[in-house]
Amino acid sequence: MNMSITMAEMSFRTPLLTGSGTFGYGDEFKSLVDYNTLGGIVTKSVSLEPRAGNKPPRICETSGGIINSIGLANPGVDSFIANKVSLLPIDETRVFLSVVGNSVEDFLAVVDKFETIADISGYELNVSCPNVKRGGLEIGGDQDAVAAIVKAVRAITKRFISVKLTPNQTSIAPMAQAAVDAGADALTLVNTLIGMAIDTEKQRPLLGNVTGGFSGPPLKPVALAKVWQAAQVVDVPIWASGGMVNGIDCIEFLLAGASGLQLGSVLFTDPFSPQRVLNEMEEYCSHHGVAEISELVGALKV
Amino acid sequence: MQPVSEACEIISNTETSTDTWEMTVETKKIASECKPGQFVHVRTGSGFNPFLRRPLSIGPCNGNRLRLIFIVRGEGTRLLAEMQAGEFVDLVGPLGNPYQLPDNDEVAILVGGGIGVVPLLILSDYLSQEKENHFLLGVRSHDLLPVLPDEIELRGIEVASDDGSIGFKGLVTNLLESKLNDLRDRSVRIYGCGPEPMTRAIKEICMKRKVPAQVSLEVPMGCGVGACQSCAVLREDGVGYLLVCKDGPVFDINDVDLTPGGSS
Repeated sequence: MNMSITMAEMSFRTPLLTGSGTFGYGDEFKSLVDYNTLGGIVTKSVSLEPRAGNKPPRICETSGGIINSIGLANPGVDSFIANKVSLLPIDETRVFLSVVGNSVEDFLAVVDKFETIADISGYELNVSCPNVKRGGLEIGGDQDAVAAIVKAVRAITKRFISVKLTPNQTSIAPMAQAAVDAGADALTLVNTLIGMAIDTEKQRPLLGNVTGGFSGPPLKPVALAKVWQAAQVVDVPIWASGGMVNGIDCIEFLLAGASGLQLGSVLFTDPFSPQRVLNEMEEYCSHHGVAEISELVGALKV
Repeated sequence: MQPVSEACEIISNTETSTDTWEMTVETKKIASECKPGQFVHVRTGSGFNPFLRRPLSIGPCNGNRLRLIFIVRGEGTRLLAEMQAGEFVDLVGPLGNPYQLPDNDEVAILVGGGIGVVPLLILSDYLSQEKENHFLLGVRSHDLLPVLPDEIELRGIEVASDDGSIGFKGLVTNLLESKLNDLRDRSVRIYGCGPEPMTRAIKEICMKRKVPAQVSLEVPMGCGVGACQSCAVLREDGVGYLLVCKDGPVFDINDVDLTPGGSS
């Protein structure tokens, strides 16, 4: 059976990708993950300036999932280029660099520097960040701000661009449409939900930052609905991200309209999950007479 | 060695004192290739609730067998305690940096607090073959020993307890101070692992007496391999953070800020 898939004229060995922030820059997991099982990796987000990250604790568990408040800790684009690029698994799989910023100028400056790195398959724009020009309002909730960033980046690169959208908004469709109209080649749905947990003994938040990004299996229904809703209005590839832990979860996302599947938090629990998930998807396909995994994309019967 | 993921057969899993469990597992490579101070990231079952693995210090190893010792504190460790001999437990490891062994002329002082004794047990196996070392352990009381009394005796561990029910009545750091007094003409190196107040007290003693120390830290952790950056501790110089999984779990005590609320 054929597990390869084509998106935006690029062929991917499998629909599986790693979700930004869960796989570092690709070197940390190298002895644990078989790159042959992955269509590509999305790196941890890189910003213009180095970011130390949030006050600890930065992770906690909640029923069935986790909340993190890493604070986009990263070495900044210059240090990334000097020290991390050589570690990227460019020979093994497709590499997508995640970019984060607080303004159009931030995104442009980072992408401009990234353009000098050879053999990168594209970018994922992380717009879940406060907008410095709008009093800290999250960029990802502001269609004009998202469109401005995508349009500006589109103008300086021919490389593939996916825009990672936040689920923290009532209606995903207009945002998805705005990102695609501005030139996005794909959408990643979804980033984490804002969440919080409390230690009742200490009567203190479990995270140093009080709130964080909620992920893991409980996020899956939310992500699935956003993928479905976006797929109704745009015809670019959708990368699903949100609580997938097994092959059947992935099949659900394909049926809802996704063609790329980002494994995220599950990598912490099961670094072998790409191989396992791929086997489970193949098993589903053989039971359902599916010869090409791409047949399932958007095949939901409503 | 690079970390591997292994499904390890459980040889035994028993409660050695109230809520303290000792699990011996058969590994393929981890036990024979790990070093004292490293840890394994342990999956608590085959499901996803609780979601995260539990980082556990690697205890004494014998051939391919590895001892894990843990306290049942929540759902994850409760599931670990329920696992039976013959079942398999999924470990990723060995992870993190080990303790640096003492220089030729140095005397090692191992200072454990409660369950923090675990990495020091394997360290003492490495040292006892050739190095002078002193092993100190603090516990709340005799019924909360992290290892069986026979092992305490066999290893010559000097115990301090809060209630005086075993060994010296007082803090393990009181024992440490008198040990340092006894050894005042020697070069010593301290190896610590235990609760935060103990680690902080060791740091104060080390600063006062200008004695080198390495301590192993525990904080909430995600991936265990440096990718997610969840397990951050504040650097002593205030310039950002270090990661317990990748830069630690063993740190030079002068490199990390142990102020309450600072690092963890």
